[in-house]
Amino acid sequence: MNHKSTRYLPLIVTVGQVVIFPYYIIWLKEVSLTFTLFAWFFAAFSFAAAWGYRIAQSRKKKDRSYIAIIYAGMGIVYVSIGGIKYSSDILPYVVLLLQVILGLLQGYFRAWHAEQDTYHLHTVHHYLIVGCAMIGFSFVKIISPVVFITTFGILMCMCAVWTLVIHEKEEVVIPRK
Amino acid sequence: MQTIAHLVKKPWFLGSLVVIFVSVILWNIPIEKRKYGLSQSGLVTDYTGLLPERIERVVRAENRSDLQRIVRQANVNGQQIAIAGLQHSQGGHTYYKNGVVLDMRTFNRILEIDELQKTVRVEAGATWEDVQEAIQPIGLALKVTQSQSIFTIGGSLSVNAHGRDIRFGSMAETVKAMTIITPEGESKTVTREDPDEWMKYIFGGYGLFGVIVDVTVELTENQLYTIQTEKLKMSAYASYFDRLLNDQHTAMHYARVSVAPNSFLDEMYVINYNHTEKQDFTTRLKKEQSVRLTKLALDIGRHGGALENLFWGTQKRYIASLNGKEITRNNAMRSESTFMEYTKPGRVEVLQEFFVPVHGFEAYMKDLKNVIPVNDKHDDFKIHNITIRYAATDQFTTLNYAKEDMFGLVVLMQHGLKEEQISEATSLIQNWTNLTLDHGGTYYLPYYRYQTKEQFRRSYPQWNTFADEKLRRDPHNVFQNMFYDYYVK
Ligand SMILES: Cc1cc2nc3c(=O)[nH]c(=O)nc-3n(C[C@H](O)[C@H](O)[C@H](O)COP(=O)(O)OP(=O)(O)OC[C@H]3O[C@@H](n4cnc5c(N)ncnc54)[C@H](O)[C@@H]3O)c2cc1C
Repeated sequence: MNHKSTRYLPLIVTVGQVVIFPYYIIWLKEVSLTFTLFAWFFAAFSFAAAWGYRIAQSRKKKDRSYIAIIYAGMGIVYVSIGGIKYSSDILPYVVLLLQVILGLLQGYFRAWHAEQDTYHLHTVHHYLIVGCAMIGFSFVKIISPVVFITTFGILMCMCAVWTLVIHEKEEVVIPRK
Repeated sequence: MQTIAHLVKKPWFLGSLVVIFVSVILWNIPIEKRKYGLSQSGLVTDYTGLLPERIERVVRAENRSDLQRIVRQANVNGQQIAIAGLQHSQGGHTYYKNGVVLDMRTFNRILEIDELQKTVRVEAGATWEDVQEAIQPIGLALKVTQSQSIFTIGGSLSVNAHGRDIRFGSMAETVKAMTIITPEGESKTVTREDPDEWMKYIFGGYGLFGVIVDVTVELTENQLYTIQTEKLKMSAYASYFDRLLNDQHTAMHYARVSVAPNSFLDEMYVINYNHTEKQDFTTRLKKEQSVRLTKLALDIGRHGGALENLFWGTQKRYIASLNGKEITRNNAMRSESTFMEYTKPGRVEVLQEFFVPVHGFEAYMKDLKNVIPVNDKHDDFKIHNITIRYAATDQFTTLNYAKEDMFGLVVLMQHGLKEEQISEATSLIQNWTNLTLDHGGTYYLPYYRYQTKEQFRRSYPQWNTFADEKLRRDPHNVFQNMFYDYYVK
């Protein structure tokens, strides 16, 4: 709580996720073959998110959060989306796997985030920032949603590295609750 | 309720739910469905999607008088109409730049079945599958259709399609009567005896002479056949087929030639459907079966080289396993098609068919080895399979591909969409066409037009008559499509 990273990184992640979602949906729609499959991909995401949430809640050691791994995982998923070639033979299978991983990470992150002291403050800030960001993004013309998705992936990887570095220091300096 | 609430608290329960759900989806991910057809954001395409074009609009007529009204109005307004069935033709036959597309799928009713005369009257937008569903319970079957039943009747007659039956001649021969809307918007019922010879131009007329509204087609018994398969050397095929044709024991037949490097154009398999004299009333129409496995096998073969050898080996085993099995006539006329779907962006998979006189087959196949590569593993242009059909002489239609008894080589091939890849494919196919022409053969017109106008004219020497009659019967050029524009006009 004292440290900036605990304060701002989760905010970046929550805002980023919401901002990136419209692009992600466009991408998902492009790679889904039918509406049914599109809906199933979402269902898979939600089930996996419930699972991730529960895993985070049932942690034995609350102070060990693995949050850097969660950030890194999300980052890798988004970056790999940027790297996917539209070779449709196996694409739906890959997308399904990504949906499950992303859902799981997202659920875990949510559960962890809700336990943070900064959570309530973040919620307000998050809505305001998302609103402004979306208005800003509406003026940016992009060729493909993948550009945004990958950029966000890189940002998430950076958050992971940051958290890891800070966490090292934190363990020494800040007494755990 | 309590237990569910309790279970939801367990991560292992939610984990299992995810695993089960994901497994179900994995199994149900559809084999890709290519997006082609009438609604591509203002552009229309057909099966290959190679010739996207902007059209004015798509119209679906409610009934026959509506259809007449649309045609009459086009005469007055100077509009162009292209007719679309299910758009499996691949060279822009079903649309025209800034024209109107008449979507015939609303005309899909079975109007009358005459069990005594063994005929069915059916609207032209219905598919052969629709007809099969209606006649199978009364033990009847079609005389001639393509190997699949996914096409409309109007579309099939307009390309003068052919199939695996070696006894009933051309598809056109099985039509007793039909109702058409002429280019002037008149409704006419025509028979083979019609003094104006409408059928001669409507069959194989690519929708350029009028709209087929309904047809009366001859039927035969839905016999039970035994499948007989045999491995042959290519050099033995012509004489083998000669015997088969004289024997009368076989009703349907086709063959498959190896394009795998190890046995390239040397090895082949024949598949015959032999009479049992048993009529079948009970066997259901088969649905698409083992789509995933066949698609996987085809996908493996698509890579060429050693994998193509593997694919041919699998095909051989599969074909051999059919030997001795029984199948109804209706089911032999509805092979699977979904496994062929191919949607890799930047690439296209197309069909071509070359016809060559039965007597010149062996020499032709020998020369063909010099035109197509034995191993296409590293080439962009790849050939996946070649099947052989028999097409009996047809002296009736104007653009006839079988001036004498012919073998049709149906070729499934693939190439990239970059300019140089298309031109490489075009030049190979043009060489292949030249070889075919030199051997007294022709090529099939519903597929993509890699061939030149010159090659078209050599293949179809009666194109003049076709063009003259088109102008005489349709002076305002109401019926138009990209095929006509490219080859005939
Ligand atoms: C996978 C595959 C397998 C095939 N196998 C065979 C085969 O075994 N044997 C064979 O001969 N062919 C075969 N073909 C070719 C096929 O028969 C033709 O493409 C046929 O035209 C398909 O019918 P359709 O309903 O899709 O017609 P469309 O492609 O919609 O139309 C074809 C032509 O008919 C005209 N037309 C359509 N409806 C009418 C109407 N009611 N009145 C007047 N004109 C009309 C159109 O204007 C167009 O010129 C195959 C094609 C594919 C893609």
